Amino acid sequence: MRLLVIGFGFIGENLIKTIHQKVELIKQIDGDFKVIGVSDSKGYLFDADGLDLERLSSIKGTSDYSERFLKGGSSLEMIEKSGADIMVEATPTNIRDGEPGLTHIRTALTLGIDVVTANKGPLVVAFRNLRNLAEAKGCEFRYEGTVAGAMPVFSLVNECLQGDRISKISGILNGTTNFILSKMYFEGTSFEIALKEAQERGITERDPAYDVDGVDAACKVLILANAVMDRDAKFEDVERVGIRGITSEAVSLAKRSNYAIKLIGTVDKNLEVAPKLVPVNHPLCVHGTLNALHFETDLAKELTLVGYGAGKETVSAVLNDIISILKKKTRSMQ
Amino acid sequence: MRFDLTLALVDRPGQLLKALEPIAKNGGNIISIIHEREKTAGVYVPVSLVADFPTYENYRKARDDLESLGVNVIKSEEVIERANITAILIGKLDFKRIVETKMRGLRIVDFEVSAPTSREACIRLNMEVPVELVDEAVMELKKIAREENAILVSSI
Repeated sequence: MRLLVIGFGFIGENLIKTIHQKVELIKQIDGDFKVIGVSDSKGYLFDADGLDLERLSSIKGTSDYSERFLKGGSSLEMIEKSGADIMVEATPTNIRDGEPGLTHIRTALTLGIDVVTANKGPLVVAFRNLRNLAEAKGCEFRYEGTVAGAMPVFSLVNECLQGDRISKISGILNGTTNFILSKMYFEGTSFEIALKEAQERGITERDPAYDVDGVDAACKVLILANAVMDRDAKFEDVERVGIRGITSEAVSLAKRSNYAIKLIGTVDKNLEVAPKLVPVNHPLCVHGTLNALHFETDLAKELTLVGYGAGKETVSAVLNDIISILKKKTRSMQ
Repeated sequence: MRFDLTLALVDRPGQLLKALEPIAKNGGNIISIIHEREKTAGVYVPVSLVADFPTYENYRKARDDLESLGVNVIKSEEVIERANITAILIGKLDFKRIVETKMRGLRIVDFEVSAPTSREACIRLNMEVPVELVDEAVMELKKIAREENAILVSSI
């Protein structure tokens, strides 16, 4: 199988390094596996015989791999001419119109290329449209990395809860706000000081409003609602309150009653992101940058996943999606 | 609908069976029954029972039938299952309005206030509400938060 990686930022770069580290494992599934193209905003690298993974792992931008670099070449152009089997879309998230990721994914699916993405933007804007397009083209469309990073949310639902009816999903879907609220809980600091520390540690988005006003969590609530609960909801359907107004007094008032305040995303009959009181002995009461997701179903009753929702760990979800496609496609070819 | 009934039965064999018949006949499902022999008063012994009836009408009919059989019903009341709700409101708050708020079936069990004079005052409320009215109570709290320009932090 021939793989393209669109976007050579944090996820794209770490994915290439991980593929290089795990290449033996991947080749056991598909002996012909190769990475044939990588693109970023400067241009793209393409080699139909496969790019050198060791060299790719050591570069910082596509232009560092000079002899295969096409300056100014667009990702779209590379997707169209590549003849690839799988495309990983890892460009930055844009929740206003989903671009450029949305066009990359639409183009790939239209050409019959399987798609793996960790980019929330296209799913926020056009989940149903993309899923229908993938079905019509007989393509795989996987997006495990879009919600709660390394946590196997969609794999759990699609593989392990096939007979269950899920009535509610709720949880901590943003590690930055959990870090801030955990600081306030354990150290009694104000929101402003905790936010500043999060920024100094580089765990906030460039615009912290995306985290602290619940925008990121609302995107994930929307994806869960549409992908797991088969809704056709829009971003505006998610009722949203962030954590800017949470005071240290409120946190300590909650603590005295054995609660912690957490920013919780909820998918049930309503879609909501809001600060909530979580009992300290509840499985959702996890601290630091951890994420946690609690499922309520008719058969399994209650299930909780806990893990890291951002950072390098997300590569685990992306690689698992790639391997799942490789297994499925190599099996169908045998 | 669940009801708690106390019957005064004559302490004679067969009386309990006689009393249970109208309950069963009217669709009542007995959840618990206690023969309170230590509380015997003269020839009467109190029997406390909890039963589910499909409708209020079934319960009323069972009660009428018991009385026409000469069974004294000394206590009967609906058992309302209540849920606890804890919530914190943050903002410049009118505490009197919040504490005196009249929500259907809601009872404030206790509350704690922090920094009451500041713009960032908070109040923690512990409330009891009939289980079926929990969503309604949370909606009402959201409405109060909106009107008071406050942030509501309710329990999951």
